[in-house]
Amino acid sequence: MSSVVSEHLCKRFGDLEVLQDINLTIQDGEFVALVGPSGCGKTTFLRTVAGLESADEGGIFLNGKRVSGPDRDRGFVFQNDSLLPWRNVFDNTVVGLELAGRMSPDERARVTRLLELVGLAGFEKYFPRQLSGGMRQRVNLARALAIDPKVLLMDEPFSALDAQTREIMQTELQRVWEEGRKTVLFVTHQIDEAVFLADRVLVFARRPGRLLEDIKIDLPRPRTMMTKRQPEFVALVDRIWRLIEKDVRESVLVEHV
Amino acid sequence: MSTAPSIAQPRNSSVLAPSGEVTKQPSSPSGPRKPARAKLRPYQISLLSVVSGLLMWQFLSDVVIANPLFLASPLEVVRAVITLAETGELWRHVGASALEFALGYSIAALLGIGIGLLIATNDFAKNWLQPWISGFYATPTIALGPLFILWLGIGVWSKVVVVVLLVVFAVIINTEAGIRSTSERYLEMMRSFGATPRQLFVKVSLPSAAPFILAGLKLGIGRGLIGVVVAELFGSRLGLGRMIGASADSFNMPELFAAVSILAASGIAMNSGFSYLEKRLVPWTKD
Repeated sequence: MSSVVSEHLCKRFGDLEVLQDINLTIQDGEFVALVGPSGCGKTTFLRTVAGLESADEGGIFLNGKRVSGPDRDRGFVFQNDSLLPWRNVFDNTVVGLELAGRMSPDERARVTRLLELVGLAGFEKYFPRQLSGGMRQRVNLARALAIDPKVLLMDEPFSALDAQTREIMQTELQRVWEEGRKTVLFVTHQIDEAVFLADRVLVFARRPGRLLEDIKIDLPRPRTMMTKRQPEFVALVDRIWRLIEKDVRESVLVEHV
Repeated sequence: MSTAPSIAQPRNSSVLAPSGEVTKQPSSPSGPRKPARAKLRPYQISLLSVVSGLLMWQFLSDVVIANPLFLASPLEVVRAVITLAETGELWRHVGASALEFALGYSIAALLGIGIGLLIATNDFAKNWLQPWISGFYATPTIALGPLFILWLGIGVWSKVVVVVLLVVFAVIINTEAGIRSTSERYLEMMRSFGATPRQLFVKVSLPSAAPFILAGLKLGIGRGLIGVVVAELFGSRLGLGRMIGASADSFNMPELFAAVSILAASGIAMNSGFSYLEKRLVPWTKD
């Protein structure tokens, strides 16, 4: 059973062609990372899968059904955690269930276990302002997992964290993912993060935003900090960097002119 | 990999953590901290300020302007309050003013929040009502006091109307601003979880507007008190405004200052009540 299919997906913002004819298939249970220079449309692609953007041509199909808007079969993890400041950790985590009217004692118990899984046991009553950036992103992740989605969509969730916390969160995410093996689409601008986490890395190019290459990552799991020092890992990162280097340099130049 | 997060701390934690662990302090660039001198707490400083103000007032009225026709000393004011309270006259005035304020303020709060929510969510209502709201808010509506006395008599209701007019627009404007300033990030997050427009309003817009609404209501306290007093000055049989007018006419300074002090005290009390409410109801804004 294939999970997410993009067929001839095109998206324009005015004259700008953000996504040009994206065709790809993501298998059930696959962890797929999307990398590329800024402006390559990777986040727009993710938002289209989420139903937060609509396609101009073609479309996204989830288990054969066309995506027409946001729904609770997909959980979105935001770059900016967007935790509601007036809700504590638990109440933030159950917000999706609450909107669906699914707040049974069973579900509450499940959410409590979920918070344990992401390392937040004992912090249920804390408010977002009392948490560090890394912990807020754990809540962000738990909130998306709480609705038990078929697909987890993650938009640069660790980009605002410091380097050490990011390393830890990557390992943590891998551990959480191993528990449920959900389909994951993970957008990042960090190539090593993409290679570390994913089964497949989709490399995007800019102007127009398009799929450049689809790279299989065969490194054994569970991957550890040591994985990042292995020659295979370094070679993969290097190969992807070469693919997008020219684009990145151009995008940097454009942003600084 | 250890999963226990270790970096949670209430942001407004003070120097000592209850468990004795060292709470992280922002490192000061100016080197080690100076040895702590006996420092006054914030409320002690405020208390000291009030006491010295009262002493100054007592000194002024005893020595500098020692004329009972112009100024009453704090002690005389206290004596006047006690006497008025014993005869029961004070309570009749306070009761009348309190009733006018309570009625006017409650009506203005309900009306203001209602209209504010309406114009924040309905563009037709917004365009229809906006010129009136802007106009009335900018007008010193207190000047219409005599008119309302003419229309409604010198009883309670003419004062209530003045209070409503003075309070309601501040509440409307704050409520609307609160709803409209709802963060798009929260709304989008909720939409991604399939929230309906109604759920967005109840679960995001309303709570995020709450601090603004409370601020509008707080602003309304002072405006409402002014409304009561001035409307009573224009014409009334009872009330603190009436008491001020009458005692000014008869150069009874202790009574005049007694009425003013009671008004000041009730304003301060209601404002601190609101600050307490804000801390309880919208604690996330207090960082």
